Amino acid sequence: MSILLQGWSLYIRATHRWPGVAALIPFIPVVAVWAIIAESGLFPRVFFPGPVDVVHSFVSLTYKGILPDYLYDSLVRLAAGASIGMLLGIPLGIWIGTNRIAHRICWPVLLFFQAIGDIAWLPILLIWFGFGLSTMTFVIVYTVLFPIVLNTVLGVESVSRDLGRAARSLGASPARVLWEVTLPGALPNIITGLRNGLGYGWRALIAVEMIVGTSGIGFMMFDARRAGSVVEIMVGMIVLGLLWYIVDGWILAPIERATGRRWGLVTA
Amino acid sequence: MPATPSDKFRPRQWPRAISPLVGAFVFVAPLLVLVAIWAIVVPVFHVNPRIFPSVGSVGRAALDSIMDGSLFMHVGASLLRVFVGTLIGIVTAVPLGIAMGISSGISAFLTPLLRFFSVLAGIAWIPIATLWFGYGAGAIIFVIFNAVFFIVAYNTLLGVTTIPHAVRNAAASLGAGRRAMLVEVLLPGALPNIVTGIRTGLGFAWRALIAAEMIATNVGLGYMLFVARDFYRTEVIVLGMIIIGLIWLLIDRLILVRLERSTIERWGMVRRS
Amino acid sequence: MTTLQLRNLAKTYFDPYAGAHVNAVHDVSLDIEEGEFVAIVGPSGCGKTTILNMIAGFIPYTGGEILLNGKAIDGPGPERGVVFQSFALFPWKTVLDNVGFGPKMRGVPKAERDRIAHEYLALAGLSHAAHRYPGELSGGMQQRVGVVRALANNPSVLLMDEPFASVDAQTRMTLQEELTRIWQERRPTVIFITHDVPEAVFLANRVVVLSKGRVLDQVGIDLPRPRVWDDLIEDDDFKRLSAEVLQMVRSA
Repeated sequence: MSILLQGWSLYIRATHRWPGVAALIPFIPVVAVWAIIAESGLFPRVFFPGPVDVVHSFVSLTYKGILPDYLYDSLVRLAAGASIGMLLGIPLGIWIGTNRIAHRICWPVLLFFQAIGDIAWLPILLIWFGFGLSTMTFVIVYTVLFPIVLNTVLGVESVSRDLGRAARSLGASPARVLWEVTLPGALPNIITGLRNGLGYGWRALIAVEMIVGTSGIGFMMFDARRAGSVVEIMVGMIVLGLLWYIVDGWILAPIERATGRRWGLVTA
Repeated sequence: MPATPSDKFRPRQWPRAISPLVGAFVFVAPLLVLVAIWAIVVPVFHVNPRIFPSVGSVGRAALDSIMDGSLFMHVGASLLRVFVGTLIGIVTAVPLGIAMGISSGISAFLTPLLRFFSVLAGIAWIPIATLWFGYGAGAIIFVIFNAVFFIVAYNTLLGVTTIPHAVRNAAASLGAGRRAMLVEVLLPGALPNIVTGIRTGLGFAWRALIAAEMIATNVGLGYMLFVARDFYRTEVIVLGMIIIGLIWLLIDRLILVRLERSTIERWGMVRRS
Repeated sequence: MTTLQLRNLAKTYFDPYAGAHVNAVHDVSLDIEEGEFVAIVGPSGCGKTTILNMIAGFIPYTGGEILLNGKAIDGPGPERGVVFQSFALFPWKTVLDNVGFGPKMRGVPKAERDRIAHEYLALAGLSHAAHRYPGELSGGMQQRVGVVRALANNPSVLLMDEPFASVDAQTRMTLQEELTRIWQERRPTVIFITHDVPEAVFLANRVVVLSKGRVLDQVGIDLPRPRVWDDLIEDDDFKRLSAEVLQMVRSA
């Protein structure tokens, strides 16, 4: 009995020291169960490969340079789209947040176009721009734009009126209030918007690559589907999942929490 | 000292019954302006109908597809898939989420797992779903179920674990048994998060639906859009886009946001976009 | 020499819920001398915060005029410093940067404005907190930063909008004593809004009683300084003056 307690204590201390461990340990039994189901032949091996097959495929794809190439393509597209989205979205959000009339006019338009969704634009984009980079970039920028703008507006609105007044009564011009108070004040919400935007963005990227692309992880998964190779699809899914899990969980979410806490706001 | 009569005067006032209509109009007005601009720009600039359709042609396409029933067929197929997938998703995810949340040890263990899968939920499953279920409604419903299930389960778990221990202890010390704890404490306490999860999950599901219908089937809104592209029938594409937008706007704003507000704001929790 | 003059000041606005125009402030005239500490008291809704917001330039006035050193005011500005009930410190800036904000807006270089900020923090006894963030400070400390932040800009008049209403009673008493001490050292012209009558009598040398947007009466407070709660709380003159003002407020 005390061995179990010692083991438990070891686990607790290890996860305290390296929080990453806590995030990884739960996957071990899942992988184990997966391996067992795959081995048992409950589903045909072709349809349900085991973890070992997936690792093999991962290694061979990396070795052949296919996986790194595709991953790079996908990431570059996402980064480019996200950057453009931020450059457009943050100023737009600030403008709408500070200007009553702009808010009245733009808000319904934003909501409607957000409702249409990025993917629905694909057919008409294909007619306009063909199967190229412009189409993909447009979709990603479109997807990322809305969460960024909407959250920026929310952020601007949440800056207490007293802060702006305090700055004015300390001699700040309206332009300086924007830069010194509104922008920093809205920052936690802007980061939330970026985080949400990237979440929707990479999904849009994958969908676009499936339908339109000639490279990238989404294309890889779709192509593997055509070839009937479930293993490669799984490699793609796991790589995507891990990547976003790490970026979102260990980079974006902590930044969001840190700014939220410092600013004294509640982020859920 | 009472205010003198000259201090106050009554201006014109909207009758109470008209207020919600006024609100709706203010919302729709900018969109109508956009439609008006569209109606003017296309003929004035002689825009090629293969690039962008005129308002009239979209209207005609709408009438045609209503008359020959194809619109109902596509919209119906899409909505049915969303409905079925979402229903199964919620019905399985909420109990699972609550069950996992009861023990803090189990929930701490399972949270990373659920987070991983909810991160992957939706679109990424399309290729594997079509391999497992073949083309057609099965794969699509699976993708929708998948998107809703993981996100709702994760949010339910989150909701249950963030119920303050003090509240659960209070219920226990007031004599709440297992069933009462579930129904009176855990479910209502997690409800705001559940609703947020449903809204987010449905959002992903709707997007995934359109994408999946472009690839994996021969009926539905996504399909309608994609096949129209082959024939440069931009009026069908734009019609489809508008319908997709309207449907989601209605679902999200009229149902989901109301639901979210009435649980979260009534119970004094944080407002989010 | 009068620093601030309110002449027949009035404020009327449209209240959509009542569906009518409301006169928040009617015909208020007040002269405030340099170096005076004027407290404005009155029941809720009497218009005192509205007057302060108008002097600060946050809301426009609809009648009369406000003259600072002979010139009509125009929007907010550094010559009218404000201390807020909500403290309004910039949460993402350190205490030092908060206090140095006014000088920063005037274009003062970093070394100089840090020096100014340190000087004022020392005045409030907060030198040790210079590199902390507002979120790490207690309410009382935050408000002290709020006060010196406004003072560091050397305003012609300091406007204080129920600044101690958000802190607990004990801290409030400490802050009131701190404020009188700082005031005695620096002698800014202060307009202090409050609904707490003893607070007003403790701090001010003149108390203006407002009611329903009009000046009801004014009372000179000639209690000796420095003022300390331990002494005054039993002092007959203090009790008499407080009772007098309280009576005016309650009868309004």
